[in-house]
Order: sequence, then C-alpha cells, then structure tokens
Amino acid sequence: MSDIRKWFMKSHDKNNGSGSVKPAKPTSTDPPPSQKPLPTASKPEKSAQGGQESSGRRKTSKYFAGDASKGKDEKEVEKTPAKRKSQKSSEEIHDDVKPPSAKKLHKGEEDDDDFVPPSASKKSVEATPAKKLKSGTGRGIVKKSVEPDENDDDDDVNDEVAGTPVKAGGRGRGGRGSAAAPAAGRGRGGGRGGFMNFGERKDPPHKGEKEVPEGAPTCLTGLTFVISGTLDSLEREEAEDLIKRHGGRVTGSVSKKTNYLLADEDIGGRKSEKAKELGTTFINEDGLFDMIRKSRPTKTPPNEESKKSVDKVAALQPKASPSKVETVDSRANKAAPKRVVSNASPVKRKGTTGSDSLTWTEKYKPKVPNDIIGNQSIVKQLHDWLLHWNEHFLHTDPKGKGKKQSDSGSKKAVLLSGTPGIGKSTSAKLVSQMLGFQAIEVNASDTRGKADAKIVKGIGGSRANSIKELVSSGSLNVKMDLSKQPKTVLIMDEVDGMSAGDRGGVADLIASIKISKIPIICICNDRYSQKLKSLVNYCLLLNYRKPTKQQMGKRLMQVANAEGIQVNEIALEELAERVNGDMRMAINQLQYMSLSMSAIKYDDVRQRLLSSAKDEDISPFVAVDKLLGFNGGKLRMDERIDLSMSDADLVPLLIQENYLNFRPSSAGKDDNGVKRMNLIARAAESIGNGDIINVQIRRYRQWQLSPSGCLSSCIIPAALLHGQREILAQGERNFNRFGGWLGKNSTMGKNLRLLEDAHVHLLASREFISNRETLRVDYLSHMLRQLTDPLRVLPKDEAVQKVVEFMDTYSISQEDFDTIVELSKFQGHPNPLDGIQPAIKAALTKAYKLGSSLRVVRAADMITLPGIKKAPKKRIAAILEPVDDALAEENGDTLAESEEENSSDTEDTDGVDTVEKKLQLDLLSPSSKSGIQVQLNSKNSGSSSAKKTAASKPKKAPEPAENKGSRGSGSASKRKR
Amino acid sequence: MLWVDKYRPKTLDKMIVHDDIAQHLKKLVTEQDCPHLLFYGPSGSGKKTLIMAVLRQMYGASAEKVKIENKTWKVDAGSRTLDLELTTLSSTNHVEINPSEAGFQDRYVVQEIIKEMAKNRPIDAKGKKGYKVLVLNEVDKLSREAQHSLRRTMEKYSASCRLILCCNSSSKVTEAVRSRCLNVRINAPTEEQIVKVLEFIGKKENLQLPPGFAARIAVQSNRSLRRAVLLFETCRVQQYPFTSIQAIPPMDWEQYVSEIASDIMQEQSPKRLFMVRGKLYELLINCIPPEIILKRLLSELLKKLDAELKHEVCHWAAYYEHRMRLGQKAIFHIEAFVAKFMSIYKAFLIATFG
Repeated sequence: MSDIRKWFMKSHDKNNGSGSVKPAKPTSTDPPPSQKPLPTASKPEKSAQGGQESSGRRKTSKYFAGDASKGKDEKEVEKTPAKRKSQKSSEEIHDDVKPPSAKKLHKGEEDDDDFVPPSASKKSVEATPAKKLKSGTGRGIVKKSVEPDENDDDDDVNDEVAGTPVKAGGRGRGGRGSAAAPAAGRGRGGGRGGFMNFGERKDPPHKGEKEVPEGAPTCLTGLTFVISGTLDSLEREEAEDLIKRHGGRVTGSVSKKTNYLLADEDIGGRKSEKAKELGTTFINEDGLFDMIRKSRPTKTPPNEESKKSVDKVAALQPKASPSKVETVDSRANKAAPKRVVSNASPVKRKGTTGSDSLTWTEKYKPKVPNDIIGNQSIVKQLHDWLLHWNEHFLHTDPKGKGKKQSDSGSKKAVLLSGTPGIGKSTSAKLVSQMLGFQAIEVNASDTRGKADAKIVKGIGGSRANSIKELVSSGSLNVKMDLSKQPKTVLIMDEVDGMSAGDRGGVADLIASIKISKIPIICICNDRYSQKLKSLVNYCLLLNYRKPTKQQMGKRLMQVANAEGIQVNEIALEELAERVNGDMRMAINQLQYMSLSMSAIKYDDVRQRLLSSAKDEDISPFVAVDKLLGFNGGKLRMDERIDLSMSDADLVPLLIQENYLNFRPSSAGKDDNGVKRMNLIARAAESIGNGDIINVQIRRYRQWQLSPSGCLSSCIIPAALLHGQREILAQGERNFNRFGGWLGKNSTMGKNLRLLEDAHVHLLASREFISNRETLRVDYLSHMLRQLTDPLRVLPKDEAVQKVVEFMDTYSISQEDFDTIVELSKFQGHPNPLDGIQPAIKAALTKAYKLGSSLRVVRAADMITLPGIKKAPKKRIAAILEPVDDALAEENGDTLAESEEENSSDTEDTDGVDTVEKKLQLDLLSPSSKSGIQVQLNSKNSGSSSAKKTAASKPKKAPEPAENKGSRGSGSASKRKR
Repeated sequence: MLWVDKYRPKTLDKMIVHDDIAQHLKKLVTEQDCPHLLFYGPSGSGKKTLIMAVLRQMYGASAEKVKIENKTWKVDAGSRTLDLELTTLSSTNHVEINPSEAGFQDRYVVQEIIKEMAKNRPIDAKGKKGYKVLVLNEVDKLSREAQHSLRRTMEKYSASCRLILCCNSSSKVTEAVRSRCLNVRINAPTEEQIVKVLEFIGKKENLQLPPGFAARIAVQSNRSLRRAVLLFETCRVQQYPFTSIQAIPPMDWEQYVSEIASDIMQEQSPKRLFMVRGKLYELLINCIPPEIILKRLLSELLKKLDAELKHEVCHWAAYYEHRMRLGQKAIFHIEAFVAKFMSIYKAFLIATFG
C-alpha cells in the first residue's frame, strides 16, 4: 500500500523540498497555537496531502518557536528522540507504518529511498548521534544543507537513468560524494574551454579508481587553487568541481593569491615555475582529498544528513532549529549578525517581512551613480554629457552653430544600449537626479506615435504631443521656471520597442531631438536594430557591457549581507554567471531563493537556475560545446534536443566537423583506442542517418522527421563521443571548428561550374562526346599533360604552338586551361604548373590571344564582343557549323532552334544597336583579309537559307553579323537581368 | 586531337570492339523502325560511340552536325515556377540531354521538357524518317520519380519519338523503363580487344610497340577502352620510343586515392581519420564523383587487406554507397565507411597481433 504513497509523498516532498519546506520557517512568523493538535487529528485521513504538509510545516515552526524558547539551555541530545517521536505522532509525515522510534524511522527511510545503498543508510543512522554531538558544540547549519543535497542526489540518479553509463561505474556509489561529484557543474565545464586549451592531455592514470571524499561545504573557503597537469584519478572538471563544491576557488593561472597548486606530477610547465617562484604550496590529489576529509569528522554530519530521505527533512526541522538558535547564542560574534536576522528570532523576521513589501530590485537599487555595477566609464560619460548639455546647446547658442556641429562629442541626445537588467534606465535616472534634472520617463507603455500636427485634444491629450510640447517648451522651463523646475531631461525608454502602435515614432523622435531644448536620453537593447538605424546618427552612442561575474558577485554579496543570507562568494558568482549578466534577474533570483533558505550554497544556485536559467541565444558553438563537452552526458534529453535544435542546420555540421576531436569518456580506459574507433564508427553512421533523414525532410517535406533527424545527427553522436576535446592537427586551436562542409561544398559547386563550362566548350568542338564525369575522371589528367608537358620539354615557340593548337582543336579557352590546372591540384602534390617558365606562360597567353582572330569560333561565349567588358559567360547557345559542311545546310530549323529563336529574338533591345555596329566592323575587317571563319547561324526565321558563312560570301557578312550581335548581346542582357 | 577522339569509329561498320552488336544494331535501324534502346555497361566500353554511330546510321552525316545550347526552361511546378538550366546537344533529328543534371528537380525535366520535345513531330520535308531521337544520358542517376514519369512519355509519344537511354548500371533503372526498351548490354572490352585497338592505333600513328607494352596498358586501364587509349597517348607524350618497362603513369586522382588507402592501412586513429577526411574533401572539391572515390578506395583497400576481412569490408562499402545515394552529403558517408573500416581493421589487428 505504502509504496505508491511513498513515491507520491516523496515527489511531493521533493517539490516542496526546495521551494516551500524551508520557507516554512520564515513565512510562518506567527504560528497559531491551535495548530498543534490539528495534524494529529488529520493523521487517519490521509487524503489532504497538501494541507497536511502545510499544517505540518506550521507546526514545525511552532515547534521551532517553542523549542527556541526552551531549547537554549536544554541538552540537544536528550531532546532529539523525544521530539522526533512527538513529531512523528503528531505530524505524520508520510508513513503511518513507521513506528515512532528513531531507529525504525531510518529503516523506513531506507525502504523509501532507492538511491541510497545500505551502507549509506547505515551511515545515516550513525550520523544522528554524531550530529547531536556536533550540534552540542554549537555548529548550526545542520539543516540547511539537507534539502539541496537531497535534490542533488535525486537528480543524479535521474541523470544516470537518462542514459549516461559514464561515470557511475568506476566510482562506486558508496559515498554521497561519488554520486554528487559527477553531477556537479552540469552544463558548464563544456562551455568553457579555458583551461582545456593545452593541447593533448592524457587520461588520468587511475581514472575513477579513488573514492572522492566529501567534507563540509566550507572547508576550502577562502583558498584558491590552480590545477596543473594530469591528476591521478580525477578529470580536470571533476577536480574543479570538487573544489568549488567545498567553497574553494579555482583560477586558471598562478598568482600571489593562489594558495595551492594542485598537481600530481611536476610537468615543469609555466604554472609550476611560477608557483615555485611565488612559493605556492604544491598539493597533490591525495592531499586535496585529505584536506577535504579532515573537515569531515566535525562537519560530516550535515552532509550525512543529506543522505537521509526527504521525509526525514521535515522531521529534522524542529530539531535543527533550536541548535541554530543555540548557535546564534554561543557564537554570535562569529556567525555574523545576518544569520540572526534570517534564521533566528521571529521578531526580527517579522520586521524584515514588513519592509519586504519592496522587491529587492527596488530596495537595493543603486542610490548614487557610483553604486552601479560596472560600466562606470559609461556612467561617467553620461554624466559629463548631461552636465555640459546646457552649455553646449543653450548657452552657447549665441556663439553660433558652427562650433556645435564640429564638436562631435556633443550630440543632442544620447543612446544607451545594452542587454536587459544591466542598469541602463537606472543609471539614466540616477545621473539626471544627481545633476538636478527632473526626469520625465516615457517608455513602451506609453503611446509614442508621430505627434499629431494639430493638437486637438489639448496638451495632455496625446502623449506624443506632450513630448513635443515638453521638448519645445524646454526653454520655457529653463528661462522662466528656473527657480522651481530648473532642468528637465526626457528619458525615452525602450526606443527599439517602438512598433506598430507608434507609427513614425523614430522619425518623430529624431525631429524632436533636432528641435529639442532639453536633453534626451534614449535607451534601447539592440543598437543595431533596423529601426534605430536613422536614430543612431543623432545620438551619442553609449554601449553598456555586461558586468563581470566578480563585480556582480560583490554586489550580490552586499545584498545578501543586508538581507542576512548566509551565502558564499562562489555561489554568488555562479549565480551571476547563470543569469548572463542580468543584475536585475540575479537579485530577483536571490530574493526568491532567500524565501526558501537562509544559506545558499553553490549547489543550490546551480540546481535552482538549471530550470529557470535565463534564456539566451545559444550559438551553435555553445550548443556543440555543451553536447560534446565533458558533461554532455549529464544533459537531459530535452536539453539536448533544445541544444541541437537551436540551429538545426548548423549544429549537425559542427558536430560532424568536430566529433573526431573528442575523447569519449564512455570509452573509459581504452589502451589501444579500439573502443573509441568503434564509437566513432557508430557516430559516423548515425551522422549519415541524419543526412539521409535530412534529405527526406527537405526534398519530400517530411518535417515530422525533424526530431529523428536531430537525434541521429546530433544527439547520438554527441552521446557516444562526448568527452574531453583534444587537438588532431598540429597547431590547431582547441576550439570547435566551424563546419567545413559548407565551404567545401561551395568550392565544389564552383569547380563543378567551371568544369561544366569547359565541358561545354569541349562538346562544342564536336570532337568530344563524353559526359562531364568522364571528362574529369578519365580525360583531365591526360589533357593536363597535353597542355603542360610540351611547355616543359619543348623549345618555347614550338611548345606554345603545339599547346595552342591543342586548345583550338578542343576549343579550350584560357579559362578552361586554368580550370583544368586548378582541378588537378591536390594538396601535398606538386602544382601541375611547376617547372614552367613564366616567360613561356606569357608567350602562351600572347599566342592564344593572337590566334583568336583566326580561330574557328565554336562557342558563342568565346567571342569577345566589343563594348561588353567581359564575354558573356557560356550560358548562351553555342552555335557551330563546321566549315566544310557549310554548304550541306539542311532546310528547316530544328525544334530547338526555333525555340531558341523565340527566346533570343524577343530580347532585341535598342541598346544593342551600337554594339552591333561595332561588331560589324570588327567582323568585316578581318574577313576581307583572311577570310574569317566565324560560323554564324542566322536566326531569320523567314529565310532559313540565310545561313551562310562569312567566308563563303563576304558580301553578306554584315547580315549574319548583325544577327550574331543581337543574339549575343541579347542573351548577354538576359544574363544580366 | 586526342587519339581517343581521333580514332573513334564513326560508323557501325568500323567498330573494332563490339562489332557483333554493331551489326545487329545496323540491321535494326535499317529496318526503318527501331524500338527504344537502353544501352548499359561500364564506362569506357563504347556505349556513347555506338549511340553516335547508330544516329549516323539513321540520319546520315547530319547527325553529326550538332549544336550545343544551354537554355533556361521555365517549368511550372505546382505553385511555383522553376527555372531549370539544361545543356542540350542537338542536330536536326536528335536531341541529347542529360536530365540528371537538374539534380533533384529532374522530375520536372522529364515531365515537362522531355515531354515537350517528344510531343513535337519533326518537320520532315522529305518524309524520310517519321521520328526523331531523344538521347538521355545517365538514366541511372535519375530519381525514382523521374523514371516513373518517363515511362508514360515513352509509350504515349512513341509514334514520333524514340528514346535512346544510356547508363552504367541497369539495376538502377526501374523495371518499368527497362521493359519498354530494347536492352543492349555493352560489355567492357576484354584485354585482348584493347590490345587489338591499341595496336591498330599504333599502326596508324606509325609507332613501334614493344611486345607486352600494349598488354600492360590494357591491364592498367581496368578494361576501359577509353582509358587505355588515353594512357597510351600519355605514354607517348611522356616517352617515345616506348620501352617495355616504361612506367605507365596513373591518373592523378587514382594516385591520391591509393595514398588515402595506405594512410588508412597504416594507422587507425581519430587523427588519421581526420587527415583522411581532409583528403577526401580534396578529391570531392576536384569534382571526382563520390561513388567513384568510394569504389576506388575499396579496391585499393582490398589489395592490401587480409582475405578474411574482405567480405565484411565489401559489405560495408556497399552499405555506405547505398546510403550515399539516399543522402546528400557524400563526405559523411565516405567518412563513415572509413571510420567503419578503421574500427574493423583495428579490432582485427589487435585480435591477431595483440
């Protein structure tokens, strides 16, 4: 019976666990005394879970209050069992089956908790006394650590279920740390390649063979580590995570602040040299483990506690709270007053709640410009601009406008841009406030359309008009109301949000800026937005940058201190990183978290923000980093799909480009690389599947296949191969390359086109009947020989003549020559043109050019038409009539000809005339001399017999030439279109 | 002019290699009415030469007076209009096109353009021939849809139009199309036949052929007559008089493929695979068709492979070749084949030598 219920309860608890169980204490500041009996009564009827939960919680707090009053002098040890019992009976958390004894309780929990192996639960049993001892000594954070860890564990298991056989195996699940360590830093490690930038690094020799210890979350606080080289059993990421988890800080390079250099082997790199120079302590992995373990005897209990199942949590609360109060009493000096504020007395708490009506974002809004995080120089600029505005634009007016224009620094308006939540509006307001301007803010919630020229409704009627009014009457303010209302500044917020409703808004704004007599501050998110293109010319552009996480962390720390939240710097920096520079969001998150807990740890932040992390544009690179990264296996399936769908075209290409670079962590110890090769083969096949599916999607519009496509082109390869990146080629940077396929494909397309051009010319020579493929595969290398070998071996003139002859036979143009050479170049092979003297090349070009007037023209695009810069590319009909067959003209046009006629004759345009004339001349002159052999195909449909060669009937030459010209240029113009 | 083209037989009577087929075709054509023809056989066996000779037999010398055009066709494809660019090679009586050039839009080429061409009866003043001929190249590269559209055209307009289809592999032509044609298989010439042709050319060119030299070229040519003649001429350019031990230069790309093959055999690692990828790209960029790369790569690998693996490797090559046809990005599939091969071979090496 109880199984399902247990599960239900657990999930319920879990849901609440992070969010609402803990809030219980702060929220219920005034527990109604009558609450106590209520749960007891409700015990039999198990129906109303929620109510029960809440009532339990209330009662908890009631206990808390009660305990708090008497608990101070009472021995904690004695209290625990009793309390638990009472709690048991009264509260009835989940299990009515559970006997009200502490031991049994544990037993029950053990049943409950699938994740905790027996050893762990045993530990938890032992843990209880330990904790008592400890709480006797006045260590107070006991309970706080419970919930998040629990979540952590749950999550890990989920992850493992979700299909990462990766780490769990080697490490064993004995200790909590084992499960937790890999979980740590989900989704990060991969994203930052910073320290992975060192070329190839070997696997840790004893990967996964040591048990990772765990200690108090604060045992490394204040210590800074640098990791160097390969560690004995931990991957870099794991080590980093372990340190962070325990409150330490990991930096990339050694500095004076560095406390320890974590290295198992002295590889003598720059880090170790620097460390020796600075006298930094070296520590190896075991040393680190010892440090953490040392903290354990005293600090373990809180962690062990976490091993206990969720239901325990609720049970612990009443007990834990007195200890905390005790803490406050015994070590108030040490434990910082803030804790008192947040944890202890209901009275204090009440006070806080009272003032809490303000959200923290309002409450901790910067009061002076110097409070603004980051961007100080921008704020300064803004300040200066505003300060000198009047001088520039009002008082200097009499001096003439010339100066104003020339001074580029002084625009009449300023445009602040930057991502949301980094203090643009705030700084605008603060600065104007500081300088004594009265700020009038207009934002997207006001209509800001083009002002109606005729003010019908009166001044206040339309907002837009009021802006106008305001702007133009600025002088009024300045001159007349100088005493009352000295200066005004208009803040136009969210100018890039001007849209449908604000027709002509930007134009109007610009107009306003031009006539404005008051400063205008415009604020937008995206300065490069199309809408603002015209506006930026009139504004001084100030671009806000995201504050660094350190800056944010510092500020958040101030807020946390003021609110009395126990939190370490690392956690806040993590928070800052998570929100992607959005200070407002960070504070909101902080406030939200403070509702449920008074001590916030690294893990909490990570857990919390996993789900509510700020949406940001995922670049394909980031997506691939995460998917293939070290922690790629930890991602949930929906996350993976999100990542790979972030750009469904590019991500697969990037994956394909980079998957070889990753040393799959799933291969484990792989001496000879067989496993890895195997995985690569599987991944490659899967990528191939993705390609096939993609064809189905695009060609047959089977869009329902797109999830499968993304699965096989991104997720499966990433799942198989995610791990640490290594470089494959010498000198490569250890970052994901951009997909090479796009570039190669376009080069291939270009070459195919060139080849096709050459192919058409060859076909036009009528000596050649094969298709393009054959041309490339069989002919090309031989042709190259025919074209280049003579140039190398024969004397210059002879060679040139021979090559030109060959080119003429096949009507190969110079471009085709280049194409043939280009297509025969292979990387690592000598250039086919090597060994040919430049002089000979030049001679060849000259000879070819010289011969061009005597040449039988076989392809229309090889005729250079005067007046047209470049001969129209081959896409024109190539006509040819063999010289000797000229008389054997068949009457009657072919179908194709007549069709072509239609297409080309209609193209006759006036502009062609001049060209024709020139062409005529051009054709006439040589024809008289040498009997030009240009074969022209008359297009006069009326007289198909007009097909005469210029040579045979020189008199008629103009006519076909004209036709020729019209066709040539006609199609040329067609191409241009 | 290259010897391949210079000594290409122009008429059916002059055929050296497939003279029996030539005689049959001649009879067929002279009986005034010839069916649709499907020529298939490996490249370099003389399909195209035969087709040209058949056309000449049909229409006389005018069949050789071809002009080449590159035209844009506007095709109505459902809701939108497509612009298709197609090169046609036409004389008064025949049109030769390569419909697979249009890529995946080949369906429209068949449905619209070919139908259009087939529909129009030739203007025939003398009433000599009642039909014209459409030569379609590379029919095996046509998509299934295009081939399906083709069969109706073949029946409906057979009064005024004959199709001559040409392809390498008849298995990639649908049954329906095949059954509507007279199938003519053109075998690759045997090595003896190639030697015969080479000797013929040698005589015409007044060359001294050392004994066994022609045979070596024949072996090297892989039974492709075209390649044999080209190689022959290459050797002539390279060195004359011939010596019997003269090296026969390989094709540039073939040499490159065999380099890739030895790279693969030397080392099986991601690093090497990455390098191979670069080289494969190089081949593709130089317009070598991916099928040919894969085929060549396989045969190069097989040369060096232990017998027990050959079967498996061939299987995978066929598998990936098929997938390559289904897909679009050839490199992915070739790379997958290489990866598969490396994986198999590496496992084999370790199992055998530890």
